[in-house]
Amino acid sequence: MLKMNKRQFLLGSAGTAFAVTMPWAVDAQGRPILVLASNVDIPNFDPHIATGYAPQWLFRNTYDALVRVVNNPPETQPGLAKSWTVSDDGLTYVFELNEAAKFHDGNPVMAKDVEYSFARLLRLKQGPAWMVTGILDGESVKATGERTVTMTLKKPFAPLLSVLPWMFVVNSAEVDANKGSDDGQAYLLANIAGSGAFTLGRARPGDLYELIRTEDDWHQGGNLQGAIWKIVREQATTRLMLQRGQVHIALEMFAEDMEAVKDLPGIVRIMEPDYRSFSIKMNTAKGPLADKNLRKAISYAYDYQSMLEAAGPAKLMSGPLPEGMFGHAPDLQVYRQDMDKAREFLAKSDYKDGGITLSAVHAAGYENQRRWCLILLESLKALNIELDIRPSVWPDIVAMAKSPDTMPDFFSIFQSANYADPDNTAFAGYHSSRNGQWQNPVYKNPDVDKLIEDARAEVDQTKRAELYKTFQEAVIEDAPDIFGVLELRKFAMRDTVQNYTFCPVAANTFEIWPLSLA
Amino acid sequence: MVRFILRRLVLLVPVLIGLTLLLFVVARLLPGDPVGLAAGPNASAETIAQLREQFGFDQSIPLQYWTYLTGLVQGDWGTSVFTRRPVFADILEFLPATLELVFAALFLAIVIGIPLGLLGAVYRNRFPDYTTRILALGGIAMPRFFLGLLLQMAFAAWLGWLPLSGRYPFIEIPPETVTGFYTIDALIAGDWYAFQVAFAHLALPAIAMALSPLATIMRMMRASTIEVLQQDYVMTERALGLSSRLILFKYVLKNAMTSTLTVIGLYVSWLLGGTVLVETVFDWPGLGLYATQAILTQDFMPVIGVTLVIAIIYLLTMLVVDLLYGVFNPKVRYA
Repeated sequence: MLKMNKRQFLLGSAGTAFAVTMPWAVDAQGRPILVLASNVDIPNFDPHIATGYAPQWLFRNTYDALVRVVNNPPETQPGLAKSWTVSDDGLTYVFELNEAAKFHDGNPVMAKDVEYSFARLLRLKQGPAWMVTGILDGESVKATGERTVTMTLKKPFAPLLSVLPWMFVVNSAEVDANKGSDDGQAYLLANIAGSGAFTLGRARPGDLYELIRTEDDWHQGGNLQGAIWKIVREQATTRLMLQRGQVHIALEMFAEDMEAVKDLPGIVRIMEPDYRSFSIKMNTAKGPLADKNLRKAISYAYDYQSMLEAAGPAKLMSGPLPEGMFGHAPDLQVYRQDMDKAREFLAKSDYKDGGITLSAVHAAGYENQRRWCLILLESLKALNIELDIRPSVWPDIVAMAKSPDTMPDFFSIFQSANYADPDNTAFAGYHSSRNGQWQNPVYKNPDVDKLIEDARAEVDQTKRAELYKTFQEAVIEDAPDIFGVLELRKFAMRDTVQNYTFCPVAANTFEIWPLSLA
Repeated sequence: MVRFILRRLVLLVPVLIGLTLLLFVVARLLPGDPVGLAAGPNASAETIAQLREQFGFDQSIPLQYWTYLTGLVQGDWGTSVFTRRPVFADILEFLPATLELVFAALFLAIVIGIPLGLLGAVYRNRFPDYTTRILALGGIAMPRFFLGLLLQMAFAAWLGWLPLSGRYPFIEIPPETVTGFYTIDALIAGDWYAFQVAFAHLALPAIAMALSPLATIMRMMRASTIEVLQQDYVMTERALGLSSRLILFKYVLKNAMTSTLTVIGLYVSWLLGGTVLVETVFDWPGLGLYATQAILTQDFMPVIGVTLVIAIIYLLTMLVVDLLYGVFNPKVRYA
């Protein structure tokens, strides 16, 4: 028989006692350090290279742009520029910089820094550069005074002030000193050369990023001394951390998470419509769906009510533009389920008896997308059309969008607005120059192209709104998409977070410097 | 012995070259468009072409492979298309976290599994054996991520004894990096508080990871011990009046260890390749999550890099296991 001697017993007991008295995680609440939980990493800090929402959050809080976008509905407010003027023809913008603005190294932000930043952005042609393709080139932005910047557009571009909040200004002296052979890419990959309210503290990839309020910050507002972007991958963990006050704001919450935290004390839920839309794109260029009547028949057969019910908190789309956005026409005749009309258009099509099998692809792992495709399958049965649904990983979906030959008949996507202007959705989603990209793989209509081009060049807002109305009617008539839902943006935050205002554009990358912690 | 080790190390080279070739070709032949994806939804064809050139995707596959291979020996493991970060630096960042977790789990599995296996063998078909058998069945049957969630509920949410997730409290500064293992770095720095904190964070994920290898090691140990206990020499030793303790620990244990050792060796790579779920549940910033992210975006350089690292560690572990056979069984000692 094995026995335990005194030494073994003492060792065992000490081990047990040691394990039980371990300190547990320190509570973050009560300090003016804001903790945000997200499951997205920030691998690259270069504002002229990186895209995606997590890097954008970092840039909005460590860099500054000429102007900012805030509030609901979104409005343009001064950033580095304290004021600006626009010429009547909409081709020349003159910005006067704020004298108080200074970089983290203490040097003031000058017009030459703005010129340098735009030249670099347009030279690298990455990050947000696509927003001004054909509008600005390397010579368009000039320092015409110490603190005066003149922007000369190649053609009128009404959304300019909506895209400028995403073009951040770097400290030209600092980047130039670390330029290397790659235009400072290696340096800015891991360093911040900005004028934002915060500098970067600890950066632990895959784990957390810490922001520290700059000394003598020129931005006025909020009491935060710092912030932590904490990467939390498991929803259950996020909820528990929020509940325990270890996290102040949870940025990625699903409908079921929102339900779970509904009655918890100290937690505030934010559920607002933003500009992120879901639609099922159809292959208008090849296969049976090149037939407009068939597309219309399907648009009338789709069970929109079931789609809405499956979505959780959401709103149905009423046309190609998100509701609430400038230019959205509220009185459009959009498709709703009507089986008589569906059969009527089916009879006009080349497939009047159905009898075909169509293919649909959705992003693997997105339960709602799968459900919406199943609703499509049910709806198509009424037209005697079979549906072959395949989940696919995102890189494959991007590759499928490349040509009409590789695109399936139905292609389901979420589309987010990158800037607060209808041009964003209209151009990316329906202009034929974007064919081959996942936001608009194949749809092409010269009349629609012209409307989009005219609207982006129109400076008069009334005429612009009129052009967008015509654009929406033309797109609805073509029925290239099953216009789906606008899911509500869902956050949960502790009630100690003050001064928060929702903005529907880039809602999850908000500026944190105006916030306070009670 | 030194010659044996050297020979094995030299043999690693062709194995690894073959592996990189296989991975590289498979990665390049898969459908999908990583560069198009990395360029973003609004990139122009010109930008995508520019990126393709920057990452060498415009070259022929043999030339790309040659560039990769020559870079590899110089410490340049390629660049992630998606993050633009050097793969080698990223692996150095994430590997210690995963290794700390794997070694902790393996350590637990060994120090608990082997004694329990012995216990099961000695008390064969009696109460201790039944108890450990149930533990083994549970350990093998229970998915790691589920066990992780249960442990979180019990020890973090209800009892509040241990932290919920993470590697270190995120508003505190971890010990200075020497090995990258926070527990060891804390000891090197002589920071007892940091050690306690790092240990507390390591405890739950390590237990979640350990249960399955623990169960296997325990069952393996039990079976081989029972086999050895039935050998004639054990009966002779008993007849000579040696104590049970002496027979078990001096003669039986050594002989029963050989097969268990193989299992332990195999578990190193199994654990390394399978950390992702536990890392997700516990927000452990390790290699598993890094690799998963890369796989989902078809970012092949990190995928190849991670596979290579796991292969190297696996091959080295098997070398150590081969050497340890000699320690337990002089008949297979390498001259």
